[in-house]
Amino acid sequence: MRFLNKITGLLTWLLPVSILFGVVAAWELWVRLADVPQWQLPAPSEIAKELGSSSDLLWDHTLVTLKEIVVGFLAALFAGLVLAGGIAYSRVLERSVYPIVIASQTVPIIAIAPLLLIWVGYGLTPKIIIVALICFYPIAVNTVDGLKATDPDMVNMLRTLGASRWQVFTKLQIPTALPFMFSGIKIGVSVSVIAAVIGEWVGASEGLGYLITYSQPLFLTARVFAAIFVLSVMGISLFMLAVIAEHLMMPWHFNEKRSNSMRQL
Amino acid sequence: MSTDTPVQPKIRIDSVHKSYVIDGRQQEVLAGVDLTVNEGEFVSIIGPSGCGKSTLLNIIAGLDQPDSGNIELSSENSDKHSGTASGRLGRTGYMQQKDLLLPWRSVLDNTILGLELRGVPRKQAREQAMEFTEAFGLQGFEHHYPYALSGGMRQRAAFLRTMLMGQDVVLLDEPFGALDALTRVQMQEWLLQLWESMNKTIVLITHDVDEALLLSDRVYLLTARPGRVTLVLDVDLPRPRHYDLVTSPEFGVLKARLMEPLRSQIQSIQSAGRSTGQTA
Ligand SMILES: Nc1ncnc2c1ncn2[C@@H]1O[C@H](COP(=O)(O)OP(=O)(O)OP(=O)(O)O)[C@@H](O)[C@H]1O
Ligand SMILES: [Mg+2]
Repeated sequence: MRFLNKITGLLTWLLPVSILFGVVAAWELWVRLADVPQWQLPAPSEIAKELGSSSDLLWDHTLVTLKEIVVGFLAALFAGLVLAGGIAYSRVLERSVYPIVIASQTVPIIAIAPLLLIWVGYGLTPKIIIVALICFYPIAVNTVDGLKATDPDMVNMLRTLGASRWQVFTKLQIPTALPFMFSGIKIGVSVSVIAAVIGEWVGASEGLGYLITYSQPLFLTARVFAAIFVLSVMGISLFMLAVIAEHLMMPWHFNEKRSNSMRQL
Repeated sequence: MSTDTPVQPKIRIDSVHKSYVIDGRQQEVLAGVDLTVNEGEFVSIIGPSGCGKSTLLNIIAGLDQPDSGNIELSSENSDKHSGTASGRLGRTGYMQQKDLLLPWRSVLDNTILGLELRGVPRKQAREQAMEFTEAFGLQGFEHHYPYALSGGMRQRAAFLRTMLMGQDVVLLDEPFGALDALTRVQMQEWLLQLWESMNKTIVLITHDVDEALLLSDRVYLLTARPGRVTLVLDVDLPRPRHYDLVTSPEFGVLKARLMEPLRSQIQSIQSAGRSTGQTA
């Protein structure tokens, strides 16, 4: 049984890695055999070379984009949690603010990016605002759902122990909401990279998104791909950070029973 | 029932009625239940599934309000009025049918929940709980999460959480319902000892006739829904009791008295089911 688990565990890694490897190999082979020009589609080996030779440049722009993402995401997290808490705790806020939050999602945030340039200029601020606006929604909505997902029997149990409304909120609703909140965070983290790049496309003088728009007309295609590669690595790393935080904060949620029964499904 | 008993009634229930909307229509669940529990008594309530036993405990604990009827809880240290549900909340220790342990808290932190809500500092509450983990069969599992526990342990943890509140009236809703026969007997003996040493007033709900007779001073038998009391049986067997009692002739006599109305009830449910397809 344990041996089988190890094999399936290995397979879950091996499978995507070998698929990825196959795709990269096919790409390399095709570019070489068909003699595709560098500026059209660089071979993976060329992109790797570019990653090495422009590493300083890439690093500087990475730091800028990372800063936009981290600050924007943290702002969204803070605002999303506070608002979700308010909405779940107060009927008035739920009736008045929640519909607006939901409706706000229909506003194409990308379309207001140019407006932000007009209002707050070309610095980091408009990018941070765009990241925050885009990350905010999944965090807030998932957390509201989580805060409302309490088991009524648990609420009654707490009431028989003499719990106040506020104690029910802190001792029951918040822990119940954690898994939901992390779902929102994982979605938020995934879209945060896209949000930062879009913000930079609209108007910027630094960042990986800027590097892409700057390099593309110069036909520095390998550099475009190198920037895309760094962005993907950044996105995956941030996602994994969220998963690690999730495991640290909710060890009970990832117990053996649960994962075993899920595997049996 | 005599009203001039020398001992003070801890719980007094007079013609409590309660109905719920079940399957889209208003149906009576409790149809005038009377019940008295004196200080230090162990009383069991027995009755068919769905007759309103849990509903009755919910009402006593203050989670629900009856449609009509009176409930009185007497306790020295409360000036809250027990006539309203909110006035009764938190005045009894209530162990519900489900263990309702919080999955994100260790066993120990689950047991101190009530103390914590009362404002006792965590460290102090934990120390207090640690004194009892051995007696409640939780020793060595204090820092485990509930999912790692057996059903019996989970129930004992819920039980300790209830007992740590220190209320002198304790309501137990089928505390041994989820256990196998052997563990059940162990738990019954354990509860017997505990109660004999703790001077609590206990109301226990059970489906198990042996359990009711073994533990109680008095057994209330309820009818099928709508529930009302059909038999009050005094169990005047000597204490301290042990499980061997179950095989004694006196026990057999009492059991027969309890089984007879139970059997006729089951028959009436069956015949009603045959003629109308459902019970009223
Ligand atoms: N809050 C409620 N709303 C609607 N119906 C309810 C509610 N609580 C209980 N009922 C109904 O009242 C009836 C009695 O329920 P109750 O839980 O009191 O039965 P019980 O005697 O404890 O049964 P069991 O022995 O199976 O636990 C059931 O038909 C149940 O569906
Ligand atoms: Mg019940």
